[in-house]
Amino acid sequence: MTEQKKKVRLYSLSTCPTCKKVKRFLDSRDIKYEFIEVDLLDSGEQWVTSKEVRRYNPAVTYPTLVIEEVITEFDENAIKESLDIE
Amino acid sequence: MTPERLFEALKKYAESQRIDLNKDREYVLEILDGLLRNEARHGYRSCPCRLATGVRENDRDIICPCVYRDPDIKEFGSCYCGLYVSKEWNEEKMRHLRVPERRPLDKRGG
Repeated sequence: MTEQKKKVRLYSLSTCPTCKKVKRFLDSRDIKYEFIEVDLLDSGEQWVTSKEVRRYNPAVTYPTLVIEEVITEFDENAIKESLDIE
Repeated sequence: MTPERLFEALKKYAESQRIDLNKDREYVLEILDGLLRNEARHGYRSCPCRLATGVRENDRDIICPCVYRDPDIKEFGSCYCGLYVSKEWNEEKMRHLRVPERRPLDKRGG
């Protein structure tokens, strides 16, 4: 199995059926991801995490699925490909 | 209360309001499970698709049925969570669009 190149994080609510649909899909494809159930965090963590969600999704709605590419060297092709530029 | 029993009660309630529950029963049961879990932890049935504060006064607008349900059904045929829908929506006589969040941004956390 090839290594997963992109980092995936799912901000979810434990009660939300659409969040569960996304989770089931990721699980069915064996995707590795960080899973955060925002409603189950204590209030301080919830405050910080909601700010994080807002950075990615200004509407602050759930599910918020973040898929990020990590490039750790000067690989021009990788940067171009990732940003979909010429 | 179980999701199944709540389903039967809300089905009658929806009929009295001349609307429907989403015809996808499994999906509805998931929503109702979330509603009951919110009731157990907060003391009221806040919308399972939104982040509640746990303070009733702050969450009053998202206690199900939320204050946004009727305008959402009027415009999109479905509430934000997809629990309550119009008959036209259930009969697929209208497009099933994603319902945007109407709740004011300052109440969503973050």
